[in-house]
Amino acid sequence: MNTPTPQLRISFSLPLDQFTLQVDYTTAHQVTGVFGVSGAGKTSLLETVAGIRKDAEGVIKLGEETWLNSTDNTYLPPHQRKVGYVPQDNLLFPHQNVRQNLLAGAKRAERNQREIDSLFDRVVQLLDIAGLLSRQIGTLSGGERQRVALGRAICSGPGLLLLDEPLASLDVALRYQILPFLHRMKEEFRIPILLVSHDPVEVQALCDDLLVLKAGRITASGHPREVLTDPDVFPVADREGFQNIFPAIIEAHEQETSTLQMGEDGSSIRIVTPRAAGNPGDRVLVGIPAYDIILGDHEPKGLSARNILQADITNIHSAGTLNLVTVTLGENVPNLVVEITEKSTHEMALEPGKEVHLIIKTASWRLHE
Amino acid sequence: MTETTISALLLTLKTATVATVIVTIPGTLLAYILARYSFPGKDVIATIVGLPLVMPPTAVGYLLLKTFSTHGLLGPETLGFDPEILLTWKAVVVACSVMATPLVVRTARVTFEGVNPRLEVMAQTLGHGRIRTFFFYTLPLASRGLLAAIILGFTRAVGEFGATITIAGNIPGRTQTLSTAIYSAQQVGRDAEAYFLLGVALLVGFAAIMATEYLSRKSPGYLSG
Repeated sequence: MNTPTPQLRISFSLPLDQFTLQVDYTTAHQVTGVFGVSGAGKTSLLETVAGIRKDAEGVIKLGEETWLNSTDNTYLPPHQRKVGYVPQDNLLFPHQNVRQNLLAGAKRAERNQREIDSLFDRVVQLLDIAGLLSRQIGTLSGGERQRVALGRAICSGPGLLLLDEPLASLDVALRYQILPFLHRMKEEFRIPILLVSHDPVEVQALCDDLLVLKAGRITASGHPREVLTDPDVFPVADREGFQNIFPAIIEAHEQETSTLQMGEDGSSIRIVTPRAAGNPGDRVLVGIPAYDIILGDHEPKGLSARNILQADITNIHSAGTLNLVTVTLGENVPNLVVEITEKSTHEMALEPGKEVHLIIKTASWRLHE
Repeated sequence: MTETTISALLLTLKTATVATVIVTIPGTLLAYILARYSFPGKDVIATIVGLPLVMPPTAVGYLLLKTFSTHGLLGPETLGFDPEILLTWKAVVVACSVMATPLVVRTARVTFEGVNPRLEVMAQTLGHGRIRTFFFYTLPLASRGLLAAIILGFTRAVGEFGATITIAGNIPGRTQTLSTAIYSAQQVGRDAEAYFLLGVALLVGFAAIMATEYLSRKSPGYLSG
């Protein structure tokens, strides 16, 4: 399953009510995020890629397939573009039950030489919806609807998934229950994804590449953590401040805590978190708000906090009276962002390259599993 | 029950059924076009189709009479052959079809307008072309309202009087229908026969309205998706 991700090229302009959506971007990352406040043109961008908006001018290509090219009047209608579109409001078919909804795009999957039976089984298992198959759509909860809509898109054998704010319609508790499903789906199916979101946690957990959309224009792009700690983007990012989120593997359980291997296989960093629900070997997503990490300039002794991690500062961004300090912990481990005051930065004489220690209480970690 | 009464009931059943069949398919397509597309002349078409709802049925009948008469637009002279419509059961079908059309088209149009167009777009992104989308998504999503439209159209055809009597006459055993038979029975004082036919009319009407009430109530909120 390690075929390289086909290149997605979106280069078009689309007149909207308030402004013209103008994008020119090429990505070969598996998950590309489109980040911005509501009204920035995010959904219009997805609808244009899906072919629902017909008045866009420019070029849209996935790999070798051209979906739009205004110079030679190429415009493929939605049913000829291999997209799996998951809109914000799910749009499940109310006249069909869950199984029928999941199989609504099965014919297309077969045309694309996908074995629908095994695909269906994998989707049902991964999204944990076996118990829902004969249910009517009207009886499903919000989280269940979201999973069925996602499953329906994958079962149609798409070459590109378009996810519009997959978590936005859910309340906070539910939101972080769906996140692991999305993450597993990303790992399991390896389908290129264009994901629209205004949630920095979601973006960081899922995206390999991020572009920021403001009033129809791309104002920043790059690795999600880099982009989200950019002071120009930061006010957009979140009122609650920056949230670190990264994958980890459960190593062992203690009575009320668990030890996790931070990052990917082969990382040497261990963290102590509240007890995880999964089994040793399971992957989880771990979150920590940037303001919940304390920085020390030497290794502290005699603290109750269970996590003291050595790290090096890679850069410091100023965001008003706050500074966002990015630190690197080692190989195969994602960088973390720490939020401290401007004053602390000066008093501790923090600068890129300096060695620091991160102090994190066990209870500060948030596990999404 | 006399032979002519039975014959009137059978003729009504036959003509109303044929008229409903004739009206349903083009009526549904027209309703869909009116619901989903905008084009020049759309309001004029919608108005013409709706006219029989408000015009005196005898006036519609008179117009049809002129259309199918010897020198009319669809008369024997223009067509080059005689379709033998006037004063036959076919005239009943024509009258019923014209009078039922507005009810079918308007009900179907409102139904299609209630189907969330984004669901159709969704079907397209799942690989279904326009025609497949219409038959496998739009029609099933609209099925309850369309059934109501058909029932209303059929019932309207069963009760048609003014246009029918104008172009088909009221010939017992040949063009006499339920409604014209009630008129005749009442005119000559055959009360028992009139009461019986009244009962049938009540039953049909009651069942039809009941059914449409049921169909509209159980509609599962498609708009909200």
